[in-house]
Amino acid sequence: MSTNGGSVISDQQSGETAGTPERKLTLEEVRAKLAKQKGKRYWRSIDELANTPEFQEALEREFPQHASEWLDPVSRRGFLKVMGASLALAGLAGCTKQPDELIYPYVNAPEDLILGKPVYFASAFPFATGAVPVLIKSDAYRPIKVDGNPEHPYNQGGSDPITQATLLDMYDPDRAQHVRYRGETRSWVAFEAEFRAMLADKKASGGKGLYFLSSTVTSPTLARQWQEGQKNYPQAKFVQYDPANRDAHYVAAKQAFGDYVDAQYRLDQADVIVSLDADFLGGAQFPGFHRLAKDYASRRKLQGNTEMNRLYVVEAVTTATGFKAEHRLQVRPSQVAPFALDLAAAVGAGNGAVGYNWTSHQATYLQGLAADLKANAGKCVVIPGEYAAPEVHLAAFAMNQALGNVGKTVVYTDPVNPMPSIQMDDLKSLVADMNAGKVDWLVILNANPVYATPTDLDFVDALNHVGTIVQLSSHSDETSEVAHWHINNQHYLEKWSDARAYDGTVSVVQPMIAPLYDGHSEHEILQSLLDNPDVSPYEAVRTTWKGVVSGGSPAPQKAKGATAGAAAAAADADFAWRKVLHDGWLENTAYTPKNVTAKVTLPKAPAPAGNGIEVVFRPDLHTYDGRYANVGWLQEIPRPVTYLSWDNAVQMSYATLEKFGLAQNAAVKVSLGGKYIIGGALPVPGQADDVVVITLGQGRSTGRVAGGVGYNGYLIQQSGGPWMQPGAGVEKTGDIYDLCVPREDYIDQRSVSHGGDGSGTHSLEGNESLDRGIIRYASLTEYKSDPGFANQGVGHWTPGPNESMFPAYRYDKNAWGMSIDLNSCVGCNACIASCYAENNIAVVGRLQTKIGRILQWIRIDTYFEGDLAAPRAHFQPMTCHQCENAPCELVCPVGATVHSPEGINLMVYNRCVGTRFCSNNCPYKVRRFNFLLYSDWDTPSLKLMRNPDVSVRSRGVMEKCTYCVQRIEAVKIEADKDNRPICDGEIRTACQQACPTNAIVFGNINDKTSEVAKLKANARTYGVLADLNTRPRTTYLAEVINVNEDLAKELGEYRA
Amino acid sequence: MATKDAPVTNPMIDPVTGEYRVIAPGHTFKSVTDKVSRIVLTTHTPLGWWFGFLVAGGFVCMLTTAVTWLFVKGVGIWAITIPVAWGFAIINFVWWIGIGHAGTLISAILLLFKQGWRNSINRFAEAMTIFAVMCAGMFPVLHLGRPWLGYWLFPYPNSMNYWPQFRSPLMWDVFAVSTYATISVVFWYMGMIPDLATMRDRAQSKFAQFMYGLVSLGWRGSVRHWVRYETASILLAGLATPLVLSVHSVISLDFAVAFMPGWHTTIFPPYFVAGAIYSGFAMVLTLAIPIRKFYHLEDLITIRHIDNCAKVMLATGMIVAYGYSSEVFMAWYSASHWEYFMMWNRMFGPMGWSYWTLITCNIALPQLMWVRKLRSNIGFMFLMSLIVNTGMWFERFVIVVTSLSRDFLPSSWGTYRATRWDYMTFAGTLGFFTFMFFLFIRFLPMIPMSELRLMLPGAKVREKAEPHSTGTPVPEAGD
Repeated sequence: MSTNGGSVISDQQSGETAGTPERKLTLEEVRAKLAKQKGKRYWRSIDELANTPEFQEALEREFPQHASEWLDPVSRRGFLKVMGASLALAGLAGCTKQPDELIYPYVNAPEDLILGKPVYFASAFPFATGAVPVLIKSDAYRPIKVDGNPEHPYNQGGSDPITQATLLDMYDPDRAQHVRYRGETRSWVAFEAEFRAMLADKKASGGKGLYFLSSTVTSPTLARQWQEGQKNYPQAKFVQYDPANRDAHYVAAKQAFGDYVDAQYRLDQADVIVSLDADFLGGAQFPGFHRLAKDYASRRKLQGNTEMNRLYVVEAVTTATGFKAEHRLQVRPSQVAPFALDLAAAVGAGNGAVGYNWTSHQATYLQGLAADLKANAGKCVVIPGEYAAPEVHLAAFAMNQALGNVGKTVVYTDPVNPMPSIQMDDLKSLVADMNAGKVDWLVILNANPVYATPTDLDFVDALNHVGTIVQLSSHSDETSEVAHWHINNQHYLEKWSDARAYDGTVSVVQPMIAPLYDGHSEHEILQSLLDNPDVSPYEAVRTTWKGVVSGGSPAPQKAKGATAGAAAAAADADFAWRKVLHDGWLENTAYTPKNVTAKVTLPKAPAPAGNGIEVVFRPDLHTYDGRYANVGWLQEIPRPVTYLSWDNAVQMSYATLEKFGLAQNAAVKVSLGGKYIIGGALPVPGQADDVVVITLGQGRSTGRVAGGVGYNGYLIQQSGGPWMQPGAGVEKTGDIYDLCVPREDYIDQRSVSHGGDGSGTHSLEGNESLDRGIIRYASLTEYKSDPGFANQGVGHWTPGPNESMFPAYRYDKNAWGMSIDLNSCVGCNACIASCYAENNIAVVGRLQTKIGRILQWIRIDTYFEGDLAAPRAHFQPMTCHQCENAPCELVCPVGATVHSPEGINLMVYNRCVGTRFCSNNCPYKVRRFNFLLYSDWDTPSLKLMRNPDVSVRSRGVMEKCTYCVQRIEAVKIEADKDNRPICDGEIRTACQQACPTNAIVFGNINDKTSEVAKLKANARTYGVLADLNTRPRTTYLAEVINVNEDLAKELGEYRA
Repeated sequence: MATKDAPVTNPMIDPVTGEYRVIAPGHTFKSVTDKVSRIVLTTHTPLGWWFGFLVAGGFVCMLTTAVTWLFVKGVGIWAITIPVAWGFAIINFVWWIGIGHAGTLISAILLLFKQGWRNSINRFAEAMTIFAVMCAGMFPVLHLGRPWLGYWLFPYPNSMNYWPQFRSPLMWDVFAVSTYATISVVFWYMGMIPDLATMRDRAQSKFAQFMYGLVSLGWRGSVRHWVRYETASILLAGLATPLVLSVHSVISLDFAVAFMPGWHTTIFPPYFVAGAIYSGFAMVLTLAIPIRKFYHLEDLITIRHIDNCAKVMLATGMIVAYGYSSEVFMAWYSASHWEYFMMWNRMFGPMGWSYWTLITCNIALPQLMWVRKLRSNIGFMFLMSLIVNTGMWFERFVIVVTSLSRDFLPSSWGTYRATRWDYMTFAGTLGFFTFMFFLFIRFLPMIPMSELRLMLPGAKVREKAEPHSTGTPVPEAGD
């Protein structure tokens, strides 16, 4: 099938390139053309004619799609319906066709397509901070789930919300579907002709005036194409700019090592981890997140040992990483660098203390931390934050060096980024060149600089001085509105490319589906610069790795003659290539540690910035720099810690909020450098005072999902200090900005009767969660002396199976259960995104989310303990507990929720009439109700995305976690066919599969050898609300924190 | 009932027996019949009736709008959410059902207890029951996520191999409410037959004669008819009496069977029944006071009736107050954190205002009814009836919403803000109720003439004059 399709396409392509690209059909020509045909031939040719790109283009010129609809303001959903119709037409070409080149199934290779039997392919998600190796589930050639590649040494199956949600990003009905020139549809051929004509023109001048502005290049092939292209066009310039870049690290690395190097942390070797404003557990925006999270958690499992690592976090912005720390210190952003320098001095790595005026609390913390580091020299690691100042990175280099960590807990390697650069400097010089009129052609690759550049550079204005602007992007965004040419990009699930993971391993990005909208990739554009411009991206990628892939074939072929040898070599190369595609990565491409020594002269700290309000900028944890803002899942899933959904807020501490006379949801104006933004004020526990946190990545003006959500932080971002600026103006506007926080916050002045001193701001939920035994934790010392701490004390008991009047259910064969390790959970939301993809969970939108109707089946409950000025937080993934004595089953009048013989509390959607009694009676409140018609039944591209094994729920029915019963049943069927029992670990729920820290374990608790049964036998296991005799199947492993007892005593922390 | 110090000049004291009269003196069989039947048979519909009817009709239109939009969009137009998945619909359901209870109590239990005074008010109290049950009955269907499948709650043979789940209290509701509605309608209609025959005989227009003739089922007023009528009345009263207690008990189990703090309590059945009667009597007064004024029925529905209703309200109000205090006591005495927190949250949580509204309306203010002067003050009693009804509505609000808003898991706490559709639906059912009531008072005799005649001195005198007479005084049907 693919060969047929291939030949057709290549015929068309050759036809296109052979013909005059400028040629356009008019209606008269069409008529004339058809008039020549007679009889059957006539009908054949109308199809042929209709299929030619010229005709399609003529059609679109004549009737621009939905020209009339565009004029009316249409509601979001109504618009989706309209778009649905257009997609149906656009999809005529057959969206589900496989790509032409061979790609290989990952594990289970059916002889041919078996409908209903998914196929898995290995690929990689090329993210700016390094590739995420993925395993893609494909059903009938439609990718329907993206997960971490379990066999890849880097992430070992872990993923993150963004990786999970790239699936929806690809099926986003808002994606650009055509090549456009000044808003009119053109063919790719037309662009190519113009582009190549320009290149031919510029050949003589060496490409002078040709500039590329790209998001961070992750593909070695793209880098190779550029580097080779530059030989032809030495004067052309290639600028990379991502708002969330690694400038601080690279500036410091260049200074310390004289070259760009990456630092890889080996957290599995580290007893003490220090984060200097590094949110390394927060998500993929931190390089190496998957590995770091896994390694971090691997030292906290307490399985058969009592050894744990200890995490210190010094941070300017409240993050989940900070709340996982044993000891967390919040500082003002301007204090991070002095703290790092002083810490370096204290561990003997620095240039002497910088003499900062620390409070006694901070000084104590610093000394205690330094002592702990020195005590664990060689077994500790200092991680600087991506958005911290270069001094922090220098200090970290120096400390890791001085403490003897290099080569043990941290290694330095070549950079993952194939073309590392100081992006802000490059951007500034690009803007200068643009303003100077030097830029003739600006080709923007996958970037949205109009939206996402610092305001003082005035990029929009600079664009006025550019001759021709070309933009390649997946969506029509802010930049597309000013670009002359807009090329619709291929999604990474549609194209050939490559990328390096954190450890340097090269992964091949394989297309999973033929491009939905005939997009084009950056490889095609850059290939035009080369001598052989028509090489396809597939060939380009193969060329890049020719040397690496060809050797080492296990096929025992011995060359006998010259020709045979060549043939064998080719066969070898093909075999090796197939293996690469099968595995998803190239063996032996991981970086080896570089033998470099940091030569650091630590600067005296910059003068601390007064007492003004400091503004910190951070990319959104889900929408990143704004590129995923149109992905409904990412918008809707509440962010860790802030619980903010469908919004970004002006975050500040409770005291700062009060200082400006604000309340949550008050509109606040933040001005900086003459510009301002208005956002909703949100108090965040544990935020340092007099700091305002601005989140980038919202406030987009285009996109049906992204448009109009939140404010655009770039409007006050300054190129001089993109991550932190002192001297901001904060003003109350008097308006209300109703933030979407789908959780009620009850602030409590704790009374003495509750063990407080009657002062300070406390979270009522936080205190209640401890009172009610929902969160149970202990220090490592307490745990050692009393491993069963979680099941002692008032309300911490679990009734036995026979304490009820009614006989307990019997589970003779399988009894499914889940164990969630709260010590490992870092609250990253990967499980939630995975659940959305697996279970076809609908996005309900901002208003519905706000009033509590979000449909997420698994959520991460966050409880803040102690004074909210500096609390301790506890994350608790919460999903249906599949109670053996399920309160919901009892009260359903129509038997729509029933108990399975394996102990799963099933939901029969067809039977549900929607009384909602089950939800009322659920103590865990994990049931979700379709109050309105939330599922999108109309948009065709979203239909392609859905998991065919899970019903799409209609309005008026209850839904909830089923332990991924469809996966259980699939494995059961396979096991039945093989006449064997189900193996432990064979069934993995979606949340478990996505979890980067292996916090979630699922299995058969009747099988006493299963991992889950062993975990449930662990003394730390407790059931939430188990004293109600619900007999939950999901249990938790209580948190244990490895408190530094001396420091805790001095700081007065943790029951000291 | 006689009061020593009452002045003999009081026309409400029967000089013969010294008893406090239920009906003002001077009425005869004919005058009573005239007075009641004229309201219906007049060709001149009062303008006030038209006004009220049209206003109520407007509210019915609003209800229709709200329900139509509900069916088009789904229950999401209401404020319900997770965790408060039940809201106005369930509150209104329980409130309306509760209101109905007074009618049944008056018609059945007071009949069995031979409380003659009930005769003046039992017809419209029963009508109130039926209309209240109609309003109540709407909500369980409307509140379903998929209302078109509401019939799945009935056990009926079908090809889906589907059978209801009888452990659910919602199933019990189905039977409780449908039984209640059936018995109420039958009782009401049967009690009306002699009066319908009177209307038939007195009607002037052919159409009215035909219609009343049709529904009076050939009643001729023969002794045999009366005997059977009396027997049936007693039997139906016997059937209806347990319903007064059972229906609201079953409805209370919707909450008590669930194990939410604030719901899971054994005191609910009696305290729901008492509350139902409490609000029902309040509604009787809310209806009776304007009607007796408008139709000049002060002779038939006297201060005595209002006074008696007030006493019943006082009694049931005290039971309800006992229920509330028992909840508070148990919250403390159980030493259960859930119960303690639930009570604390009810009183001092974000929705504490609703609890204090409830206490004020249901317990504090009604204590004024101890004062006889106030009890016989029509304006005060009307106001009090409104207050009690408000209080009882808030009682259900507190139970449903406040309990759900903060339950076991603090992460899932939420709040509830009613939408315009909630208010429209509630106001719409109030309008529907009033609308039906306007139709009722216009087309059916709102005071049972046959029973009222029993209370006239004429009926009694004859009994005294012929002590051996065994038959019930039988006024001629066409009198």
